[in-house]
Amino acid sequence: MAITLERARVVAPTARRYRWRRVIGQALTWIALLAALVFFLGPFYWIVTTSLKGNEDYFAFPPVWMPVEPSLTHYVGLFTRSSGARYFTNSMVISTLSMIAALVVSLPTAYAIARWRFGGGFLSVFLLVLRMLPAIALIIPVYLMYKLLGLTNSYLGLVIVYTVVYIPFAVWLLVGFLRDFPVEIEEAALIDGCSRLRALIAVVVPIIAPGLAVVALFSFIATWNEFLFAVVLTGIETKTMMVLVTSFTSGGTDMFYGEASASVVLGVLPAFAVAFMLQRYLVKGLALGGTKG
Amino acid sequence: MRLGALVLKRKRWEPFAFASPSLALIALVIVFPLGYSFWLSLQDFDLAVGPDYQFVGASNYVEALFKDPRFLGSVWNTALIIGPSLVLELLLGLGLALLLSRVGRGRPIITALLAIPAMVSPVMAAMAWRMMFGVKYGAVNNLGRQLGLIDVYFDWFSSAFISIVAIVLVEVWHNTAFMMLVLLAGLQSIPQELYDAGKADGADGWKSFWYITLPLLKFTMVVGIMIRMIDLTKLFGLIFVLTYGGPGGATETMAFTTYLVGFNDMRMSYAAALSYVIVGGVLVLTLTFMWVQRYREMRAAA
Repeated sequence: MAITLERARVVAPTARRYRWRRVIGQALTWIALLAALVFFLGPFYWIVTTSLKGNEDYFAFPPVWMPVEPSLTHYVGLFTRSSGARYFTNSMVISTLSMIAALVVSLPTAYAIARWRFGGGFLSVFLLVLRMLPAIALIIPVYLMYKLLGLTNSYLGLVIVYTVVYIPFAVWLLVGFLRDFPVEIEEAALIDGCSRLRALIAVVVPIIAPGLAVVALFSFIATWNEFLFAVVLTGIETKTMMVLVTSFTSGGTDMFYGEASASVVLGVLPAFAVAFMLQRYLVKGLALGGTKG
Repeated sequence: MRLGALVLKRKRWEPFAFASPSLALIALVIVFPLGYSFWLSLQDFDLAVGPDYQFVGASNYVEALFKDPRFLGSVWNTALIIGPSLVLELLLGLGLALLLSRVGRGRPIITALLAIPAMVSPVMAAMAWRMMFGVKYGAVNNLGRQLGLIDVYFDWFSSAFISIVAIVLVEVWHNTAFMMLVLLAGLQSIPQELYDAGKADGADGWKSFWYITLPLLKFTMVVGIMIRMIDLTKLFGLIFVLTYGGPGGATETMAFTTYLVGFNDMRMSYAAALSYVIVGGVLVLTLTFMWVQRYREMRAAA
């Protein structure tokens, strides 16, 4: 007893010193992280506030960092004058259709690879190489083919390209989810006389639904963000949000701010939503270009 | 991994039936166009002149690799952007990952907030920054003036050098989060016991970072850099919005030059050849990347 007490007395001052060092260390850590947050989120703050300013506010100096009377004029202008509603709908429709198509087509392929080792190692390497393929390599032949087939300026054309370009990534991610899925449950269904396809749809799909949702969300955001195919293959009726925002750049370095910023706000909304929903999978998804079309 | 006997027992046609829809689509929309594009790259096909084409062999490739100052310049421009971007993204990403690893509560939310720029499309990132860089009404110039740092409105895209600096800044803003996430995952996979053991041996702070963290994080860093490098060789959307290749072509990247050759000049066959040169570069990088990963797995197994 006496020994412990004595030791405690010796340790106490050093412990206090360590506690102080830890508090200061934590404080510095948080200050640095706060600075990083300002740098990484600052532009978003500027865009959002700009989109809510009236005209006199964004020509003002000193600049209005915090609009006193926020107004939705620019959003109204974007939706009426610049056909923002149509382009927003285009993006929504194209991304949703591509997302569904990519899932439907990729799941059976991923199943074949995960359960039967279909294609051996070759198929996986092939898919990875396809995943890294630059879009610029496809755009020239696809554009010429689409012109021949009359698929430019159509939803269908863009949806086909987006679906197929996304297959490698979707398959790659789904194989991972399927490998984690216990084979025994499936076996039980097969013994009960289920066909493979029914076992996949009725037994596997409900259980790996969260994994499917992850793939779906990544695919949605990737098609939403895609630009090269969109700018080449769309026409006036089928433009996506990405093509719309670039049309505001024609005004030179100080372009038409109000509607431009409003369109950027709408264009980054899905990214914000997905970043929070997919936190756990961000590394996996971003690593193989999950957010790039 | 163990597979049940019943799962391995299968009808022979089934795997093909399951895999064929996506493989057929890939064949039609990726493999066939790539073949067509290669054939095209061996022709002289210029839509600005007319629909006629003529076989010219490798002369498009010879022009691209030896005679075309514009494309060779774009290779140089791309390298000028890639180099500093990778260094800054690695350092900043490592710094942020280390900071985050020291935070207990609140880490997930801060990580997600910092990761948002990486989820945004390059076009949107560039657009946001174009407004930040606006000469008279941009946030950067106005903040500078308000704080008394500058007294004239500064045009961020007037000279080649400043334009590259601005592009690198936007690129770093856009993709540092990726490096941060990869390195954070790497940091978390380092067992705490190593640090405890290090502490017992007297390694504190810098020493444990230098002798434990860095060596164990080396491969993760290489992987992160390789992925970013592959991605950056395709840099297009950022350039399209920020500078459109200007001033005077000084910021044209490989992908952007190819786009202009194809869809401004309408020289389809030459653009196809250029795109194949880019594919060659990306392929070399991808194979190196796969080799690095296999090397890592072998090292891990040994």
